[in-house]
Amino acid sequence: MDVGSSVPAEAVFEPLLQFEMEMGTFLSEWQHCDHLSTYLARMISHNRADPVRHSNFFSSALNELLEVSFRGGSSSGHIGLAIYRNGPTERVQITFPCPPGQIPFYREAVSKIDRSDAHSRYLDAISTDMAPSRESILLDLAINFDASIRIEENTSPAVTLIVDLPLEGLVS
Amino acid sequence: MSVAGLSPNFKMAFDANSQVFSLAGIIRPRSVDEIADSIAMLKQAIDDVRGVLYVDVKRLIQMNNTAFHAFVRVALDACRARADLRVVIVTSSVVGWTTRMFAHLNQIEPQITVEVYDSTFYPGQSFVEDTSFIPVLRAQTKMTWRHERSILPRHGMRPGIAMADICCGIGDFAVLAQKEFQPARIVALDHSKPSLAYARKVAADFGVTGIEYTYGDASEMLLEDNQFDFVTCRHSLQIFNQPELLLKELYRIVKPGGRVYITNEKNSHCLGEPRAQSIQWTYNELARLLSHFEMDVELGPKSRRYLADAGFDDILVESFMVTNLDGAPQDFADVIAGWEKMFAAMAARHGEAPEFIDRFRQGFRDHIFAALHPKGYAGWPIWAASGRKPL
Ligand SMILES: C[S@@+](CC[C@H](N)C(=O)[O-])C[C@H]1O[C@@H](n2cnc3c(N)ncnc32)[C@H](O)[C@@H]1O
Repeated sequence: MDVGSSVPAEAVFEPLLQFEMEMGTFLSEWQHCDHLSTYLARMISHNRADPVRHSNFFSSALNELLEVSFRGGSSSGHIGLAIYRNGPTERVQITFPCPPGQIPFYREAVSKIDRSDAHSRYLDAISTDMAPSRESILLDLAINFDASIRIEENTSPAVTLIVDLPLEGLVS
Repeated sequence: MSVAGLSPNFKMAFDANSQVFSLAGIIRPRSVDEIADSIAMLKQAIDDVRGVLYVDVKRLIQMNNTAFHAFVRVALDACRARADLRVVIVTSSVVGWTTRMFAHLNQIEPQITVEVYDSTFYPGQSFVEDTSFIPVLRAQTKMTWRHERSILPRHGMRPGIAMADICCGIGDFAVLAQKEFQPARIVALDHSKPSLAYARKVAADFGVTGIEYTYGDASEMLLEDNQFDFVTCRHSLQIFNQPELLLKELYRIVKPGGRVYITNEKNSHCLGEPRAQSIQWTYNELARLLSHFEMDVELGPKSRRYLADAGFDDILVESFMVTNLDGAPQDFADVIAGWEKMFAAMAARHGEAPEFIDRFRQGFRDHIFAALHPKGYAGWPIWAASGRKPL
C-alpha cells in the first residue's frame, strides 16, 4: 500500500472523469450513493475488457466510498470526485467536508489498513460489529478489492481519500 | 418479494422444500432497519431448516457493507446457537467480489462454507469450455454466416439497434454482425473464458472496437431488463441442460417489441451422399449420446414451442441447410473433422466400447468423404427462429 507515495496523480494517472456536487444536495437523498456509483461505474468501464463486470466491481467499491462520505460528511461545501486510470488500475479521489474533529479518525482508520493484522481485524469486524465501521469499510476495500488507500490533508475541514483499485486484473 | 424503500431490483425468497434462502438484485440500505423484514425472514428460515441452509447469492448484483454485516451477523449467531446447522453460501464466479467477501466467513465459522455454483453447472460444460472447441466454432460460423446474413434482417436485425449475442462463443458472429449491420451497441456474453479471451484477441487484431465481451452465465445474467432491440442466441439452447431458463433470461433483457433470435440443429438430420447409411447411423447415435449429457441437439424444430412457452408472440421459424456446395467443400470437411474429434471424446467419456467409437467415427469420415467427393453432397440443417416480446 502506497501510503507514503508522493507521486502526483496527474503524473501517471490519466483523468477519466470529474464530478462535483453541493454537499447539501448530496445528503438530501441516500439513493444518490447507489445512483452515482452505478452511473459513474458504467461510464468509466465501457472500454475495459469486460465492461459489464468491471462496472459491477467498480460500482461496489465506489458506493462504499460515497456511503462513507454520506455518513461522515457535513452539509456545507461540496463533495468532489475524480477518477483516473493507469493501466489496470482506477484511482478514485474523493473529497468531502467533515467536522474538523473527525479528521484524525479517518487518518487513523487509513493507517490501520496497512498493518500486518489487517486481515484479522477485518474478520474480527465482520464477526462482532452489528453495523460496519468506517474502518471495516476501508478494510473491505483493501482486502476484497485489493485497494490501496491513502489520505490527503486539506487546508479546509475536509477529507480527501485516494483509493487505487486494480480491478481490471481481478475481473479478468 | 420486494421491500419498500429498497431498490425495486431487490428480491428475496425462502423455499422451505429445498431449504434455499435467496437474495437477488441490489441491496444498499442506509441502516439495518430498512432491511428488518429481510433479516426477520432469514431468521425464520433458519428456525425452519433442518441440517443445511443454502443461501443463494448468485444473482446478488450489489450489496453494501451495511447489509453484508447484518446478514452475516444472523448467520454467525445461528451457527453459534445451533451446532447441527450448516450454512452453504452459493455464490457465482461472475460477481467475483461476493465470492471473496463471503469466503471469509468460513475462517470465522467452519459451519459456513462457500460454493461457487458455476464452476460446474451443466453436464456438457467441460467440453464446450475447452480450447479444442475453438476451431470448430470458427469453421461453423464461417459457413452459417453465408446463410444468416440474409436471414437476419427478416428477424429484426437492422442498423443502429442495441443487440446482444448471448452464448457468443468466440465472438466472430458479433464481429460479422457489427461489420454487416452496424448496430449501435453489441454486448457479447459467454461462460467460456478461453473463448472470450480468443474473441477479444480477434477483435483487437482486426481493429474491431465497441463489442462489449462479458463473462457470464446466460441463465443468470447481470444485464438489466428491457435493454436490447435484438438478442441472438445461436446453437446454445441445444447444449445447455435448461433451455427454458436461457429463454427466460433472453426474454427479460430484450425490450418489449424487440425480438429474440435463436438457431439450433436437428443433428439426426445431417445427411450425405454417398455413404448415406453410415452417416445417418452416426448422427442418430450422436443425438442419443449427447442426450446423456443433457444436450438436446434435436431442438431445432422445437424452437416454435420453446419460444411460445417463453411468452413470445409473432414467432417466425425457418430452416436452412449448410452444404459442401456453399463455399469450399474443405470448410465443410473441417467442421465435420472437428465434430469427430470432440464427439468421439464425449463417447469415450460416456464409456462407449471401442468398437462403437470406431463405427461412430466412421460416419463422420463418410460425411467428410461425401463433402469432398466430386459428385457428393453433404448437408447440415439448421433452424433459425425468432419471437417478439409483447409490448
Ligand atoms: C455450441 S457453442 C455456440 C457458440 C456461438 N454462438 C456460435 O454459434 O459459434 C455454445 C456456447 O454456449 C456457451 N454456453 C452454454 N451455456 C452457457 C451459459 N449458461 N452461459 C453462458 N454461456 C453458455 C458455451 O460456452 C459455448 O461457447
